[in-house]
Amino acid sequence: MASKMKVDPSVANHGPSERVERIKARFLATTPEICAERAKLITESYQETESLPMSIRRAKALEKILTNMTIFIDDDELIVGNQCSMPRSAPVYPEFSCKWLEGELDRLAKRSADVFLISEEVKKTLSKDVFPYWEGKTNNEYAASLMKPEALEAQNAVVYTVGNYFYNGVGHISANYGKVMREGLDSIIAEAEKAKEKFDFADANQMKSLHFLESTIIANKAVIAFANRFADEAERKAADEKDATRKAELLEIARICRKVPAKPAETFQEAVQSFWFIHLVIQIESNGHSISPMRFDQYCHPFYEASKSALPAEKAQELLDLLWLKFNSLNKVRDEVSTQAFAGYPMFMNIIVGGQDREGKDATNELSLMLLQAAANTKLYAPSLSIRIHEGTPDVLYMKAAEVSRMGLGVPAYFSDRTIIPALLSRGLTLEDARDYGIIGCVEPQVGGKTEGWHDAAFFNMSKVIELTLNNGFDPRTGTQVGLKTGDVSEMKSFDDVMDAYAKQTAYFVGLMCHADNMVDLAHGERVPLPFLSSLVEDCIGRGKSLQEGGAIYNFSGPQGVGVANAGDSLAAIKKLCFDEKALSLPELKVILDKDFEGVENIRQMLINRAPKYGNDDDYADDIAVESANIYCREVNKYRNPRGGVFQPGLYPASANVPFGSVVGATPDGRKKGTPLADGVSPIGGFDISGPTATVNSVAKLDHEVTSNGTLLNQKFHPSAVKGESGLRNLIGVTETYFKNGGFHVQYNVVDRDTLLKAQQAPDDYRSLVVRVAGYSAFFTALDKSLQDDIISRTEQVF
Amino acid sequence: MNWRSKVLDFDKIARPENGLSGLVFDIQKFAVHDGGGIRTLVFLKGCPLHCRWCSNPESLAGKPEIIFVANNCIACGECLKVCGNGAIQQGEPGCEGLTIDRDKCTLCGRCAKYCYAGAINIIGRYLSVAELMAIIERDRKFYEQSNGGVTFSGGEPTAQPEFLKAALCELQERGIHTAIETSSYVPWDTYASILRHVNLVLTDIKHMDDAEHRRLTGVSNQLILDNLRSVSRLGIPMKIRLPLIPGSNDDEANLGRTADFVAGLQSLQSLDILPYHRLGEGKWRQLGVQYALSGLAAHAETEVLKAAGFFSDRGITVGIGG
Repeated sequence: MASKMKVDPSVANHGPSERVERIKARFLATTPEICAERAKLITESYQETESLPMSIRRAKALEKILTNMTIFIDDDELIVGNQCSMPRSAPVYPEFSCKWLEGELDRLAKRSADVFLISEEVKKTLSKDVFPYWEGKTNNEYAASLMKPEALEAQNAVVYTVGNYFYNGVGHISANYGKVMREGLDSIIAEAEKAKEKFDFADANQMKSLHFLESTIIANKAVIAFANRFADEAERKAADEKDATRKAELLEIARICRKVPAKPAETFQEAVQSFWFIHLVIQIESNGHSISPMRFDQYCHPFYEASKSALPAEKAQELLDLLWLKFNSLNKVRDEVSTQAFAGYPMFMNIIVGGQDREGKDATNELSLMLLQAAANTKLYAPSLSIRIHEGTPDVLYMKAAEVSRMGLGVPAYFSDRTIIPALLSRGLTLEDARDYGIIGCVEPQVGGKTEGWHDAAFFNMSKVIELTLNNGFDPRTGTQVGLKTGDVSEMKSFDDVMDAYAKQTAYFVGLMCHADNMVDLAHGERVPLPFLSSLVEDCIGRGKSLQEGGAIYNFSGPQGVGVANAGDSLAAIKKLCFDEKALSLPELKVILDKDFEGVENIRQMLINRAPKYGNDDDYADDIAVESANIYCREVNKYRNPRGGVFQPGLYPASANVPFGSVVGATPDGRKKGTPLADGVSPIGGFDISGPTATVNSVAKLDHEVTSNGTLLNQKFHPSAVKGESGLRNLIGVTETYFKNGGFHVQYNVVDRDTLLKAQQAPDDYRSLVVRVAGYSAFFTALDKSLQDDIISRTEQVF
Repeated sequence: MNWRSKVLDFDKIARPENGLSGLVFDIQKFAVHDGGGIRTLVFLKGCPLHCRWCSNPESLAGKPEIIFVANNCIACGECLKVCGNGAIQQGEPGCEGLTIDRDKCTLCGRCAKYCYAGAINIIGRYLSVAELMAIIERDRKFYEQSNGGVTFSGGEPTAQPEFLKAALCELQERGIHTAIETSSYVPWDTYASILRHVNLVLTDIKHMDDAEHRRLTGVSNQLILDNLRSVSRLGIPMKIRLPLIPGSNDDEANLGRTADFVAGLQSLQSLDILPYHRLGEGKWRQLGVQYALSGLAAHAETEVLKAAGFFSDRGITVGIGG
């Protein structure tokens, strides 16, 4: 950690201003609603453009939305730009999928998590003007038509789910924000105009590129016009404003919105405003989540430097806090089932501070600390804040991060340069690009502005595969033979036989999953290219290709394995008790599992307490968990996507471990039918009884480099364990040791169990309680009860 | 080597015939309140004191013991079947009615082996120094990263002096920081030979009055106080811990005398007040023994702060909660 101190920590000592507190209070008092504006406008646009090429249709649709949607500037705002006609509301994106919404319109306000209000008028607009047009035309329906029936059947059995991109936009990207701040959209338009000269209109394929380039020009011009609408609105409000201070603020907003994002930003406020327009419009163009700003402290720092002499640190902090509130104003409505896997209105917008620069030197600057302070000042769930740790991370940044961790908001998440840079190099990034990585969504690393990472390609239910292995490929829940016939349990004479069958089932389902992903991928390229986003990622303009067709420099698809601990512990119990000790035979075990342990609680206790468990630094269990993960990773590594990239595995769940558990019968780890799986690479809650050091040692045994799409470790600490400066040092000690042992990511929930139980009982008193769910934070009271229980049951490390 | 697998090895409960071994009743990792940094805490079994408030009553006897945790019992009846000595009886229906005749029990461990739910346990395992080192070494990087180490607690660690010395010596040779948490009730010669391998002493003062000390703990405090002065003279860093027990040692006279004594210790780092808690009460029940302080309420926070004032007024660094 030795490094010269180059940052004065006092720049980041400023608490929230009254302005920030006022806007936050308004935000907390607002219940999200559904807004039909975007849906209505895009439907009209599609009806008008049926004769045009798809890329142009997409650009014209964006243009129509940005020209006609309601805009507003709220009291107190300095950074402006809204996503919907009302604050905190969610737009509808019917082109991706909308059948589910049609079916759930009346459930939205009544469901158990992520409630959305919806007016009768909005319901009527959607039912009359939107849904009928999209019948049979959505990207979801097209993608489904491309898939093999077996792939759909396996999804139906929830062996995996490719649901996210199957039903929504892809997102999971970081645009080249820095370039827009520095050069402006005018320069991107100029670039596209110039690129047109390269392509020959007489060549049919190249003509497609010309259409694409034209679409980026339409889209960028529309965004500039959109910013000018805010300038008009600010001027209009300024004319009516009595208060001289506010009037001046509004006129400054107007000046800035006339200038950016079209032209290069010069001041800090201009840079933040330019950033916000880009970030906002990306989320109006598509509903893909995890649009991640990444290294904001790096690309925004020159503007901070330029304004520093004229801008007091507390004003700069206020602008960042206001930006933080803006992040929270973005929203997305998901179907009720997905809401279980992505609970708590998450948008997964990841910002990361610190780490190395492209030359390998420490990159920490004032903004790194001020962004941590913004999280502390706003205490809300967005954005997801992360920190990169390397040998040269200065103590001042590390301690600031530990202090914020101790506040219990679940941020920042810690990432290890030592593991991630080699992992990215192994996937073909240049050294400079690997050093310049940031995090997408929960835990997925990539270099921003150059990558279409498809990081959330699928979730793979490793425990379901255990169940299917023991059932010879038959799924008891759906009553179908979804898997291969790898042999009846009575034919498995050794533990190797069990592992072989598990490996064969895994290989089969990974193949189907990658096929399904690739069909969804093709559909996005053909049906929903995104011209604006594409224009902000290298080298789409140069190649004359949208992101969705392989325009980016780096292309990946990343499906996640879920329930490593359950798969590992199940296999360890089989090895130990059925083969080593012969306490019961495998067929006997299967009968017991089929009956969900009914009448044999003592056998369940034996499975729990007499078989070694992952997470206790016990090589017996840990080695098997590692092997079960490796089997998955080796299969994923075999596949390629249609954008010219490879598949790369991850091991993290969002909150899919809860719904995934609900479809899996009793498992040999002693888990009862339908109960949640362990999250990420964390041990099963309650089984990690040897303390956090043992947990960290166990988890570090996984190969965190091959899982280059990310792994996730949750650790929960009681406040007393991180008390005082020594407590912060201990937190750093755990992080450092995990990373030195090869860990990838770790995050801490510092909140006591009593608080969570009280919040469950009196949710109204705890509306602002933010907890870490998986790779993101959310309001605890907005979560479904089963997920709340899961969070409470994760072992609390208190000594 | 892993502590959990040792605990689950019910076939090896008896003291090994060859070689030096220590009787350990628990090993806790990530201990952050017992000597600085991240530490491994090794609890040795057996104690010459019998403090009425003891929160680790399973640590008192210097031999393995059988305990019954009623909450874990699933009433499967396996223990009744496998006990060859008729030591386990099911009295009234339901698991609370299970009684263990500790005179008949030979500590063979069969009942515990088949009690999968963990309701019956044998507390205490004999470990060699090498086995203990294997467990401790697993967390070496954490000690190095946090300036932590290993702390021996109990029971009374000095009650197994040869094992303790050998383990401490081995740790120092391996460059791991050592601490002991002790009553200091041990003959000075023995204590001195142990202290040669100790970097930090955490030691209790339970009462300044000899008669009261005898009443509360069963032993005189003279040896303890003499030893504390000697530790201070040797210049070994020391933290004094004061278990603050309502109605036993929290009167102003005793707190004042304690503070006066502590103020005279040159090598003192801090005095830590350990407020009384009732977490040990259930363990007494599991051992089949009546708890002497049953029903005693813990101090309010203000009372603890008031007690702390006696020490901070004399310029002593005070911690609360250790």
